[in-house]
Amino acid sequence: MLISFAGITLGVAFFICTQAQTQGFERFYIKTVLGSTGALTVEDKFQPRFTNLLQARGNDIVGVANEQMRKYIAGIDNADQVMRVVREFSNVAACAPVLEGSVTLRTNFKEEVFRVQGIDLEAHLQTTALGEQIVAGDLAAFRAHPQGLLLGVELAKKIQSRVGDTVTLTGPDATPRAFFVSGIFQTGDNLIDERRGFIHLPAARRVLNKPAGITLIIIKLINPDRAPQLAAHLEDLLQHRTRSWRDRERGNLQVFHAIRISAAITVSAIIVLAGFGIFNVLTLMILDKTREIAILRSMGYERYDIRDIFLWQGLLIAAVGGAAGCVLGAVLTWWISRVPVRIRGFFAADHFLVSWSWTHYIAALGVAFVAVLLASYWPARRAARLAPVDVLRGAGQ
Amino acid sequence: MSVVFGGVELHRYLGENESRVHVLRGVTLEVPTGEVHAIVGPSGCGKSTLLYVLGLLDTPDAGRVLIAGVEMAGLDDTTLARHRNEKIGFIFQFHFLMREFTALENVMIPMRKLGRLTPLQMRDRAALLLDKVGLGSKLHRSAQHLSGGEQQRVAIARSLANDPVILLADEPTGNLDTDNSHLVFGLLKDLVKQEGKALLLATHNPSIAKACDRIREMRDGEFVERR
Repeated sequence: MLISFAGITLGVAFFICTQAQTQGFERFYIKTVLGSTGALTVEDKFQPRFTNLLQARGNDIVGVANEQMRKYIAGIDNADQVMRVVREFSNVAACAPVLEGSVTLRTNFKEEVFRVQGIDLEAHLQTTALGEQIVAGDLAAFRAHPQGLLLGVELAKKIQSRVGDTVTLTGPDATPRAFFVSGIFQTGDNLIDERRGFIHLPAARRVLNKPAGITLIIIKLINPDRAPQLAAHLEDLLQHRTRSWRDRERGNLQVFHAIRISAAITVSAIIVLAGFGIFNVLTLMILDKTREIAILRSMGYERYDIRDIFLWQGLLIAAVGGAAGCVLGAVLTWWISRVPVRIRGFFAADHFLVSWSWTHYIAALGVAFVAVLLASYWPARRAARLAPVDVLRGAGQ
Repeated sequence: MSVVFGGVELHRYLGENESRVHVLRGVTLEVPTGEVHAIVGPSGCGKSTLLYVLGLLDTPDAGRVLIAGVEMAGLDDTTLARHRNEKIGFIFQFHFLMREFTALENVMIPMRKLGRLTPLQMRDRAALLLDKVGLGSKLHRSAQHLSGGEQQRVAIARSLANDPVILLADEPTGNLDTDNSHLVFGLLKDLVKQEGKALLLATHNPSIAKACDRIREMRDGEFVERR
């Protein structure tokens, strides 16, 4: 019984702990995504194309059309107008224009092609978490310098560049332009940190040779969970490709989801094994208590009374083991969040990331109660079906 | 005196196929209030089976069981359980007490099922019954720390918990020494006489049988005339 109890406690604790970790990393990733690319992006303009399925004759009106592949026109021409419309939506907190393109960055040591983003700094700070992501230099220097450059931390390492260095950026017109490294940022998403840099929008227009238009608009939402609905609505309204963060990051989010499910299934196995233990314990207990069961039946206790006695035994184990598991799970989660571990790769983190959510505790308890209930039900049913007279005669033992 | 319970032409078979045995062969009996009837006979003659059938723990293959004139045949498990709880008190050779419970808690078990008394009233009644069987000073002693005679007296108190009119005792003194046997039987007999109950007991003990109001001898599943 003690082993079954320990199994439930450990199973619940590990369930909570693994869910806290996997969701911790997932939330960190989502926060990084929202903080660097916004909840929504409005991108290329498109023209819907239709072909009539029926040909009109004379003055007939034909409304049956067959939608064809859209024709996309790169970028956004009327960015101010689009942003004015976007800001009208109550869920929109801020939006910022971005002009993006590939440039070649040269230092004295190295040459690297990366994606530069020309930004309106004040709008960008309102829309993203760039202000909190600066790890070297400062934004004031970037703001003050028209040829300022912010580099992702991994990119800066790759080209061995530091704050205060001067580098050259060469765009499609092949004209090298000098830029001053004003700051280095770290989003935590290495894919961004090793491929992205920021310059001022007017400078980007010169480097990328795009005197008008922008590449995309980043939108920050008050409630990012409603991004997919707003994206669909905006796309329809603006006739520009509009993608929510869930749409953009679908692949990675599915990986996180799969890891969470996998961890839950693996850890649930411990609880299920504990359930088998409870099944065995209750079965043996019933064999040991056949006389007591018979005497209870002789005193007028009904089948369901006997069944309930053993179900309560199981539920008591689930309740006490589950409660102990919740406490242990919380302690383990806290302890793991303190463990220093240097993670570099998909993420950049210096300790385990955990997420505190009551849903982990409810889910763990739910799994424990279902497992224990199933494990208790069959022995309890067997106890309820014992014929007292067989036991009293001695045949039931 | 009114008849509390009885059986008419009771037949019971046990086992299957070749090992099928005709355990009760048309047994008929009545037990009136205020009387103690003994069933005697060799082991395997059907004494216990008759008690189980009359106590609604077993179902006869033929014949009728009557409690206060009401036919018990065809009743569902819930109704039979309710009758056992309210009207019948069992005492077995092995007391079958809940070892982990105290004497008081053991006596309260049938009352909890009946649910007519408050927990406080149940405690008071259980204490009263235990006092009546001479265990007033051992209310809170766990069953496993009582002697054999004391355990059987707790079992008697438990059988009286819901004030049943019928008492069925299967070798109630079979596991006790002579002194304790007479003590337990004396208790049962006094209760029957004082409280107007009916007791049917199966026994191998001739002196106890002799002290009963009526002795019925059983052989091979039927009553035989005593010589």
